[in-house]
Amino acid sequence: MNVKSLFWFFVGFVFVNFAFSLWSLLSSVLTVMPIPLPYWLLYTPGNIVAAGAIVMALMLALYAYLGVSLVINGLRRGFIPMVMAFTFAIGMALLLARQAIPALVILVIAYVMLIGTYIVIISTATSRASKALWEAAAMVLALIPPMLMIGGLIVIDYVRYMAITEQATTIIASAIEAWKLGVG
Amino acid sequence: MWSGPRSRALLVMVVLALAIVSVVVLVANSIYAVPSPTSSIRIGPLGEVSYYASQPMPNVPPGILIRVFLVNGSVVEPVTAFIDVYASAPNGIVHVAMGYSPTLVVPFNDSNWQYVLNKWASLGIPFSEYNTSMLVFVTYVKGNESWILPLLVPYNVGWAYAALGRATPLTATLGATTPRYIVVNAFINVNELRPNEVVPAKLNGTVTDPQIFGTYYNYTIYNCSLSGPKPPQYPSAPTSLYMFKPTSACVGINGSLPITWVTWGRDVLQSKGDSGLVIDLSIYFSGTMNWDAMATSYGDIGTSYSASENWGPDSSNFILGSQVTQPGSLYWYYKGATWGIVRYSVYECGNINYLVKYGYCPYYNVYVGTTLVSEVLYVPPNDYYVATFDYGNGPVSMLYIGAIPASKQYFGYPVLNASSVVDYAAFSNGNIYQCNGPVGNTSKVIGGVQYTLYKVTLGGVEQAYGLSAAELGTALVEIVLGIGSIVAAYGAPVWLNLLLSAGSLSATIAGLLVPPSTSTSVTSTSLGIGGVTTSTSLYISVIDASKTYGLPTFGFILNATNYYGNPTTYTCKYGKVTRIG
Repeated sequence: MNVKSLFWFFVGFVFVNFAFSLWSLLSSVLTVMPIPLPYWLLYTPGNIVAAGAIVMALMLALYAYLGVSLVINGLRRGFIPMVMAFTFAIGMALLLARQAIPALVILVIAYVMLIGTYIVIISTATSRASKALWEAAAMVLALIPPMLMIGGLIVIDYVRYMAITEQATTIIASAIEAWKLGVG
Repeated sequence: MWSGPRSRALLVMVVLALAIVSVVVLVANSIYAVPSPTSSIRIGPLGEVSYYASQPMPNVPPGILIRVFLVNGSVVEPVTAFIDVYASAPNGIVHVAMGYSPTLVVPFNDSNWQYVLNKWASLGIPFSEYNTSMLVFVTYVKGNESWILPLLVPYNVGWAYAALGRATPLTATLGATTPRYIVVNAFINVNELRPNEVVPAKLNGTVTDPQIFGTYYNYTIYNCSLSGPKPPQYPSAPTSLYMFKPTSACVGINGSLPITWVTWGRDVLQSKGDSGLVIDLSIYFSGTMNWDAMATSYGDIGTSYSASENWGPDSSNFILGSQVTQPGSLYWYYKGATWGIVRYSVYECGNINYLVKYGYCPYYNVYVGTTLVSEVLYVPPNDYYVATFDYGNGPVSMLYIGAIPASKQYFGYPVLNASSVVDYAAFSNGNIYQCNGPVGNTSKVIGGVQYTLYKVTLGGVEQAYGLSAAELGTALVEIVLGIGSIVAAYGAPVWLNLLLSAGSLSATIAGLLVPPSTSTSVTSTSLGIGGVTTSTSLYISVIDASKTYGLPTFGFILNATNYYGNPTTYTCKYGKVTRIG
């Protein structure tokens, strides 16, 4: 298997997350300061959504890259992240076209495939630590929808913390994996 | 570039570091360590308000931040504009802040905002049960076009209390994610909003702020129809025949109210026998004071302000000739009082039968006319008093050179005339002439030296001179006119015309006297004279300015050769002569 190509996936994963964190930290602090700022730097809900969309697009591109490099190396499970990225893109496009029901169906499929993608990453992970962290992230990801369905808006705060845990876990897991592939 | 094992190791280190930083930021965001939005409101295409919960940011006071953006096509950029902020109070709207900049910060502890917040808190309703709002007006001017944007920003009084770390029982039910910062983004969309044409105002060469007319002798004269504190409507409950509603003809005065003072002339400084005399001015007053609003032709229309007052005991002193070398006054004064002269519209009850039968009026719809009302709008409660010197530019000088002649000019008789000056006592030829009241004798250490102080004590207003409560009425209007007469030399100001156009003042002055009803527990103001010898030549006159200031206010005037105003004859009701020593 081409180790180098997966290495770049994990590096990209950390970089994209870091860029988003940096923007949210800077803009959240600068927003409350009495200095004139360009509008895009303000931490308003509209801008947060816009930044989130950019991050999602970059992440989908990364997952597509992951899938392609796995398939090239003869691992057919690479189709899962590829199809996932594709279905997510279709789902978002339908959402923008105000086709709520088909968008929901497609996005549910994409979400299940995202969990599948995590499983694919677990199967290719080279270090035990990152494997464990990805497993935890996949479990959290799988738990969020049933929790929301049962608890509704009452559990929204817990879901928020779960999502943050999931994000933090994947970032650390990616960093460990990048370290393992790059140096180890 | 990253092919070598060393550079790849470096990259891996960077990736690890970035991952850790990302996780830290994620956690900080989730626990509101840094500003995190709790909610957001979109105000049509005009703007948006976002509320941020956060830990205190260094050098960023909690409060409201207004940002102005110019929207032109797809370009959105910060732009300099006039930003004017008002706060809704339970009884009206109070001007809080204004500026000309791309951003404007109004912290929760802004004194004007505090005034409003305290008004809300005084209602005693738990903060969680209601929201109030700020009114923001943004005016962008370019060339001869202007765009005006009104924004309503809802907020909760409890947020300010929480952010300032003030605990009251009213804040008990506030949630955990209380906003600390309110950020308002105002969009001046020049493509969508229609501009107004700017018409340059002609102000006879003098530019006037519509809210502040000017500052004279440390008195700020403001337009109380535009800025707070504003006059209320009377009565507060519809139980009377007439209802009084403030109009836009409103002159507010903010400044100091002298409590007592001592004035000395050049003759005292030149008199050899008076050099080295110690002058000690003491105040002591404690009680509640209610100021009633007085309307011309209608009289007392209700209590305008009530406050618990507490002065001293406190004293201030100086030595004539060494510490003081020029004529002037030492005075105790009240800081930051506000009162107003306002024209009110008067409406009569539309259903008098109902009023008579049930005790309250269902509606006031019969317009009767207008009346001029004199009222106290705000007095800081307790302990906000100071002693200082006035060498010709303070409120005491203003009283002598402004209010006394002005009252004569506008009302046909001087408010402070011979009848309001009492020829009190004199030290002359080795004798003490106790003309109209007793002179006490006490011992006091001043500056390490033991002095025998001859003391003139005003033991309560009524007792001292047998003045009746009615005589203690006040005509706050005279201060305005006093100031007016001084500045009128430079052309009559807008606000003076506003007042004078409100009706024939001279005929109605009697109706404008506001009698403060006091419930006092202690009241004693005294003047002590130390270091008196047989060569001392000093005449003490007492001036009663209670009518002018609406407080039991007395001033002492010191002269070397005769009482104030050089009277040729004077009557001494008390009439007692004793030797000094």
